[in-house]
Amino acid sequence: MSELLTVAHLSKQFGPHPVLRDISFSLNQGEVLAVLGRSGCGKTTLLKTLAGLEAPDEGTLLLQGRDLGPVPPNERQMVYIYQEPLLFPHLTVFENVAFGLRIRNVAKAEIDRQVRELLDELDLREHARKAPNQLSGGQRQRVSFGRALIIRPRLLLLDEPFGNLDAQTRADMQQLFLRVSRQHQITSLFVTHDSREALTVGTRFGYLDQGQLTSFASVAGFVQDARTAIRSELAFWESIRHALPSGPPTA
Amino acid sequence: MRSRLLITLLLLLFGLPFGLLGLLAVGEHWRFPAALPPAYSLDALRSLLAADNDLLLGLGRSLLLAGTVALLATAGGFGLARAITRSRWATRWEAASYLPYALPPVLLAVLIQPFVIRLHLSGSVGGVLLGLLLVALPFATLLLRSFWSAQITEYEHLARTLGCTPRQAMRRVLLPLAGPLLRTTLVQTFLLSWFDFGLTNVLSVGKVHTLTVQVFAYVGEANAQLAAVASLLLLLPPAVLLLLNKSALLRKP
Repeated sequence: MSELLTVAHLSKQFGPHPVLRDISFSLNQGEVLAVLGRSGCGKTTLLKTLAGLEAPDEGTLLLQGRDLGPVPPNERQMVYIYQEPLLFPHLTVFENVAFGLRIRNVAKAEIDRQVRELLDELDLREHARKAPNQLSGGQRQRVSFGRALIIRPRLLLLDEPFGNLDAQTRADMQQLFLRVSRQHQITSLFVTHDSREALTVGTRFGYLDQGQLTSFASVAGFVQDARTAIRSELAFWESIRHALPSGPPTA
Repeated sequence: MRSRLLITLLLLLFGLPFGLLGLLAVGEHWRFPAALPPAYSLDALRSLLAADNDLLLGLGRSLLLAGTVALLATAGGFGLARAITRSRWATRWEAASYLPYALPPVLLAVLIQPFVIRLHLSGSVGGVLLGLLLVALPFATLLLRSFWSAQITEYEHLARTLGCTPRQAMRRVLLPLAGPLLRTTLVQTFLLSWFDFGLTNVLSVGKVHTLTVQVFAYVGEANAQLAAVASLLLLLPPAVLLLLNKSALLRKP
């Protein structure tokens, strides 16, 4: 696999408060780096810095060897996906998905073809003419994915994208993300505060705490690290399992 | 039944002044204690069609002034509101935006008049425009401040990462999102300058005859018929604007 993104010694502070401290990591084509972290650990600032929406105080960002420092957000081909789907309320589902192609002046017939294909893939075809407020939370997030995927981003930056969904829809969306990620060979940086979600979607793992990123060489390392609290959660479910009476459940 | 009665009463209450204006505009020799005019004539209304009619000139002048003020104040307010939101001293700037309202418009006009004279704008449409903008621009800024929320910044950032230049993000995302509030601000600032009398009268030193100023002049001359015709003309553009923007003005929160 070829190296896509290289982040070296990235630091950022707001006033006297350091938010990112000497962050370094690299990401290969098609990998999903799941970064676990609590609120206020610097996850959003890290993603915004990669997207070019915040300027780092120190450090370098290289995308396929090219320095991203002077590259504006619109030329980085890195789409930021928020917790809220942020669909454009003045556009239909079709036009929301087509947005990135329209601003690139792609031919109308080509836009129609690509959007229809993607809507089919995301199971949204019947909703194409609907306004965003006519969709459920999960459908909106799927449209948000479609809007990002249509421009074939080099890197997806996901900021707890399923955080506002109910448990079942969230699980469905995680599976959809996995399927689409593999199918389109998408490279992503997925930040979440949910360890189960991190383990579900990630191919590589990191833990961000007070602006410092720890990268793990293996899933085992990620699970074993006490800060991720995965072992304590496993122990909790183990204790529940032991507390339950054995044998088939009675009605 | 009760609500229907209430609506009828309210309609009567709002409609009565308009009916009275209509009667004053077409009635002749209407003296107390007659309940209705003894004779009716459309002469005053017909005179509007004359090429050199002062009222039509006043209407045109008022439309030009109020339209320009509304456009400049709304466009300027949109940019200023954004700049204030991004400023480190946002609350201070917002407080400063209320300052023009600490004074009545006439007093504000008196205070800025020396500057208007030095700019050689006294008694001109430009001077009145400047004065009205001093009131309308902070008003538009305050009104549009609510638009620039954290979520709007997220929309803008998202648009940038989807490939928009700052100009494209403004044109394709921010302006459509701000559409209803921009229309409301346009209407409000238009009405603010359309109905202004005191500030216009002071800064124009009697030379810029807007429709509102003309209404006051006819009332002063006890020319009830022309005052009524001018008042009807005065009510026409705001009524049209309110009708056109009904959905934006009455939108649910």
